[in-house]
Amino acid sequence: MQWWCSAQGQPWDWTWRPYVGVWLFVALIAAGYVALRRRYPPPEPDNGDGRHRAAYFVTGLILLWAALDWPLGALGASYLASAHVTQFLLAGVIAPGLMLLGIPRGAFGLIERRPTLHAFLGDLTHPVPAFLIFNVGMTVTHWPGVVDAAMVTQAGAFALDMAWVFCGVIFWWPLLAPIPARPGLHPLMKIGYLALNGILIRPPFAMMLFSEYPIYSTYELAPPFPGTNPLHDQQFAGAIMKLGTAWIMGVAAFMIFREWMRTEAAAEDPSVPSGWPI
Amino acid sequence: MVLKPALMLVALLVSLAACEPPGSSDELDSSPLKGSIIETGGERPRFTLSDTDGNPYTFEDETEGLLSFIFFGYTNCPDVCPIHMAMLATVIGRLDPADRGRVRVVFISTDPARDTPEVLRRWLDSFDPGFVGLLGTLDEVNAVAESLLLPPAAVPVNAGESYIVGHAASVLAVTPDGGTRVKYGFGTRHEDWAADLPLLLQWKAQIP
Repeated sequence: MQWWCSAQGQPWDWTWRPYVGVWLFVALIAAGYVALRRRYPPPEPDNGDGRHRAAYFVTGLILLWAALDWPLGALGASYLASAHVTQFLLAGVIAPGLMLLGIPRGAFGLIERRPTLHAFLGDLTHPVPAFLIFNVGMTVTHWPGVVDAAMVTQAGAFALDMAWVFCGVIFWWPLLAPIPARPGLHPLMKIGYLALNGILIRPPFAMMLFSEYPIYSTYELAPPFPGTNPLHDQQFAGAIMKLGTAWIMGVAAFMIFREWMRTEAAAEDPSVPSGWPI
Repeated sequence: MVLKPALMLVALLVSLAACEPPGSSDELDSSPLKGSIIETGGERPRFTLSDTDGNPYTFEDETEGLLSFIFFGYTNCPDVCPIHMAMLATVIGRLDPADRGRVRVVFISTDPARDTPEVLRRWLDSFDPGFVGLLGTLDEVNAVAESLLLPPAAVPVNAGESYIVGHAASVLAVTPDGGTRVKYGFGTRHEDWAADLPLLLQWKAQIP
């Protein structure tokens, strides 16, 4: 039995398979969140903030689970580059953002009480290092040699998935999570940060879209998946990645813009309800 | 210092890249080919089997002057056979028409019980209607495989309708002059084929 999805070289069938490592990973995150919620309950009176944050976190966790477990995890590890990049969008982009948004605000006070952690996160989550880490991480974790070497072992596939989650958390942190004693980014800067990430074409995605032949041996030499061929699947993967990233960044930029407008309106006229801060 | 964990993660992933598994040309030889030369200076293989129209197909005559690829497999194969056939169809399809006409793919069925001429023809057409399908009894097919220094096929006894056939996983290329045989194992990639096809089309046997 496998504990994490990795390339197996066996013909695909729709028989369900358990991945205990994925369940354990998701259960640990859920347990950690429950402990945080108990320690940092929503402020009284609850204006809906606590429910909203819980909903964001649970949605993010479900998406992370869906990305890593059967069938998407197994398809992405062994058979389809398009499933692999869909996993990435879920586990490395959408889920980290939602989960970060779901953390109780009071929990970030923990960072202030730990000077080493404060300095570490302060440096790592500054927009410039965050931008570099996310984009270098995205490029390295999709580089053909890295993917082909990592996906053949469960430990390698696990490392790749963890790198995605790590890079995703770092990416969203400057936008969604406070570092005490550091002023938050102006909404215009946040939108600029998202726009830059949305339009950037990273080398592996250009290779996926424009290569004459498949770039990943994992998918090129995998037992055929009905109705696809490796080159078309790879081009589809490149399109999913490019359009998916742009769409996610666009939605996030729109939400930030909307909250910015609401906050401005509330500042001018106290009778206007202020937006829920993102 | 605070970026150390991130740098360590990048270092781990870069080191994984350095562990990329070897390509198909692990049998080193001095040729520029990605495949492995197993014989040079010999003669074009001689054998006759039936094609999918039921006519005798004499390999030596039908492929004279052509670059030929011989593969032993079966249409119910879940992995190696369709992967090799799809790759050959793709890379040959990208040659210019004149060169494409100088290449012949010959697929020899190792599953005479299930691969009827119609089944084999339909399966090959899904890759390239120009691919040749040959049939014979298992003994005839295995005699051809052994004459080409490839392992014989193994069909399980009393296996019912659903079974796996053991067969050689390599494609054997025979150069247009007929004198050189090059083996391409499973793991040969599109780019390997694309690099070797022009070389094989011009290949002249090194006769001592």
